[in-house]
Amino acid sequence: MRKLLRKDHFSPRANRVSLQTIFDPESGETLDRALITYFQAPHSFTGEDVIEFSCHGSPVLLLRVIDALLLLGARTADPGEFTLRALAHGRINLNQAEAIRDLIDAQTHAAVRQAARQLGGELSARLQPIKNALLDIIVPLESSLEFVEDDLPEITLERISERLSNLIQRLGDLASTFRAGRLLKEGLRIALVGRPNVGKSSVFNRLLASDRAIVTDIPGTTRDSLSELINIQDILILLTDTAGVRTSDNLIEAIGIERTRRAMADADLIILVLDGTQTLTSEDKELLADVRENKYLIALNKSDLEDFALSNAGGLNGAPIMPISAKTGAGFDAFRDAILKPFTATDIQDGCFLITNARHYDLLRRASDALYSAKQLLESRTSEDLILLRLYESLRILGEITGETTPEDVLSQIFATFCIGK
Amino acid sequence: MSFDERFDVIVIGAGHAGCEAASAAARMGAQTALVTLNLDLIGQMSCNPAIGGIAKGHIVREIDALGGIMGRIIDRTGIQFRLLNRSRGPAVQAPRAQADRSLYRIEMRHTLEATPNLHLRQGLVIDFLIKDGRVRGVELQDTRRLRADAVIVATGTFLNGLIHTGRRTYTAGRAGEPASIELAESLKRLGFPVGRLKTGTPPRLDGRTIDWDSFEPQPADERPVPFSFSTEAIEQPQVTCYIGYTNEHVHNYIRSNIHESPLYSGQIKGIGPRYCPSIEDKVVKFPDKLRHQLFLEPEGHNTTEVYLNGFSTSMPAELQQELVHKIPGLEEARIIRPGYAIEYDFVDPRELTPFLQTQSVAGLFFAGQINGTTGYEEAACQGLLAGINATLFIRGREGFRLQRTESYIGVLIDDLITHGVDEPYRMFTSRAECRLSLRHDTADIRLSPYGHKLGLLGDSEWNSFNQRRQRIAILRAALESTRFKRSDSIHYSLCQMLQTDLGCTISLAQLAQRPNVDISLILQYLPSELRSNVSLAELGTALADLLYSGYIEAQRHHLERVYHHDNLYIHENFNYRLISGLSHEMVERLERVRPHTFGQARHISGMTPAALSLLLFRLQFQQSA
Repeated sequence: MRKLLRKDHFSPRANRVSLQTIFDPESGETLDRALITYFQAPHSFTGEDVIEFSCHGSPVLLLRVIDALLLLGARTADPGEFTLRALAHGRINLNQAEAIRDLIDAQTHAAVRQAARQLGGELSARLQPIKNALLDIIVPLESSLEFVEDDLPEITLERISERLSNLIQRLGDLASTFRAGRLLKEGLRIALVGRPNVGKSSVFNRLLASDRAIVTDIPGTTRDSLSELINIQDILILLTDTAGVRTSDNLIEAIGIERTRRAMADADLIILVLDGTQTLTSEDKELLADVRENKYLIALNKSDLEDFALSNAGGLNGAPIMPISAKTGAGFDAFRDAILKPFTATDIQDGCFLITNARHYDLLRRASDALYSAKQLLESRTSEDLILLRLYESLRILGEITGETTPEDVLSQIFATFCIGK
Repeated sequence: MSFDERFDVIVIGAGHAGCEAASAAARMGAQTALVTLNLDLIGQMSCNPAIGGIAKGHIVREIDALGGIMGRIIDRTGIQFRLLNRSRGPAVQAPRAQADRSLYRIEMRHTLEATPNLHLRQGLVIDFLIKDGRVRGVELQDTRRLRADAVIVATGTFLNGLIHTGRRTYTAGRAGEPASIELAESLKRLGFPVGRLKTGTPPRLDGRTIDWDSFEPQPADERPVPFSFSTEAIEQPQVTCYIGYTNEHVHNYIRSNIHESPLYSGQIKGIGPRYCPSIEDKVVKFPDKLRHQLFLEPEGHNTTEVYLNGFSTSMPAELQQELVHKIPGLEEARIIRPGYAIEYDFVDPRELTPFLQTQSVAGLFFAGQINGTTGYEEAACQGLLAGINATLFIRGREGFRLQRTESYIGVLIDDLITHGVDEPYRMFTSRAECRLSLRHDTADIRLSPYGHKLGLLGDSEWNSFNQRRQRIAILRAALESTRFKRSDSIHYSLCQMLQTDLGCTISLAQLAQRPNVDISLILQYLPSELRSNVSLAELGTALADLLYSGYIEAQRHHLERVYHHDNLYIHENFNYRLISGLSHEMVERLERVRPHTFGQARHISGMTPAALSLLLFRLQFQQSA
């Protein structure tokens, strides 16, 4: 540091920012006037002593500062090394480390908010009371086995069973936020399908608000599937424009149609684009039969034309139909809302907590399954040691998020709860 | 150096750890000296006259399965046997027995005296003789010097023992016996990290002054379950114990005199066991509890002395007498020996190898309360393992250890050497990850092959073990293959009796797992050639094997998945500082424990998942390199 700043007596004040001039240690020329922040251990992200340089934004300048540091014996960090060090120093837990990874990956504002929350250990915090409630079940059961000669209060199976149901419910509620949470983080996959020349690509472009897809009136212009990321109300959406589905002997088009089928199979939502100026063709009806197996939405296009009539799509009783005009943009606000509607049953916008990580979802499911199995054993009057086996399993799984509960922790809880011992 | 006598192994202390240690070493062929302060108090039960209980009873059966002696001796001297948790799952059942305190002592001394290669010596060991980092022998107060390449320290509460009764304190190992002061100093000089623990004992009463009718009798089991696999029948006449309760008068009197208790005056610094609290602690920590349970336990057939279990106290003697008088049924009772608290030195067991040998002095082994444990059973099993390992050590052979997954003894030693102790360590079944696999009645299946290999189980014991194992296997097969179809008349009558539909076909094993099905019912339907000479205990074992087999199999799979790195060996000189990214704190923890395997490293408290990942990565890298 002293060489870099050419100050023999430089010693930064802990957790303070200072303005310093950085010199090239070889040539002695001035590199930059930069802000130097000294984070004294353990008050830094990694828990170690950390110096942060805030330089001016030129990439060339930054590289020269880094070169200077390397020259003085520093080394560059490995990818993820700071997070790993923070983890190793116990500054963050595994859960938070995963949230940091999500934070880096997050591409929309809502996902950033969600990632920021898990960083604060909110999942841990939410699971803690559930884990404590589980301990409250384990403690009397375990005590009744270990301290059979002690004068302990009677435990009723009904009461334990009731408490288990409550816990299963709470874990289930948390786990059920996963779909919405995953949606937030990974985004929705939406496929636009329809027979050729109903205006899929125009709808695609209008949603994209750009001219990404080539639009002509020649049926079958879109031979391959096009995908773009769009953002509706902060939800990331991978929108795929597919080749029009029709029977074709053109090989390239046939491949495109095959890809369309695949895009449909992968999609969270299929938007079937129909031409509102025409009655349903047999191809439309075939497609309709296909999409009915998925979540779908019908966009009745060309509402700007005279021949347009909602009744043209008659006989689709109950299907969600949105009249739109890709050309003028009419009906698109309602259309965008309708796209998100099937996914917002758990309200993403109200700021409630959501599970976004598949590993967490899996752990919650397994923790809940173990409790369910314990409850069944309990109700079939199986011996306590087997019931406890399941309860401990659940505790261990929750511990993968909240931190381990050791046998010693359980014993401490027992001794704090009951007067044990001769 | 000149020596008065030469041995292979010297054991200091003839309590429960020392007796097992000396017996094992001698039977494995080592010339063994057992040095004790008082030959008349070999195998003395310092506290309550009982052995076994949940988890502790398991340990005694494990000791017996390995070829130790505690199980046989309590079987010969127990005066009230009870199988605890009889109505619960077989994994948490365990035998417990009241002993005739003096008979136990006599039987223990007799057994040791009948052991070839075992030499009893009376004297006070005051120092270790050490040369080049290896133990060479011990020096006694009477100036005798005994030579041996392995020394086992099993000094119990005697190390710097300090007794408290009210404000009065005096050095003692037990009431009426001198403490071991010089030896404690010698351990400190050798640089062992020494801490202080505390335990206590209740007053003993004159049975002639107790109003027995005020108490609820607690009879012995009709069919006592012995501890030893070699015991055929319990022959001691069985006695009844009695249960009573304290009341609010007692509690109030304790509260108003709490300043008289050295526990609350700040006089006692050592940490006591939470599960064995004094009556002062019970009253102060659980003020809402209106009564505390007491057990009146007869000390033996030939004495009227009664142990007032549950009333451990270090109040002044005259206050103890007043308190006792306030207990319903004890209004006239007289105290023969007052209760007291005792503080003593222990050495941080993280100093030990998995073989109970100290890391700094070769040939020096510790067993029992010196390692921070409490309980006769916990002490005895350490003594047994120390005796075995001291003998292997002098022969230059590899040490013997048990895994957590195969025994409570393995759990105990692993806990001690990886976590150390914050309070006297007692075994609980919940400390074992796989308690379903550690049933008391399978201790022989799990451990007797080791006992035989080590030379602690003789041929006749080995033969009867193999016969028993075979009989149980036959029973298991019969329980699974004996099936009743809907067309059988037995099926019909079973459905009628249980008032349920048993399905198309049901095996005896399945029948046994239904609620309200008693073992006698199963016995009734066993094939006739088995039924005539089956033992109910062995039938119970076979049934329990079948009950748990699915769970144990699932657990084994799980453990293998989670812990399959646990056996990864860490070299003794492994340099943790070379792991880049491992924090200073983590390095310190690892260097303090010096784990031998990744599994031990995983159990060190405070290790972060990231630190373990780094270590694992490094170990795997080394292995593949």
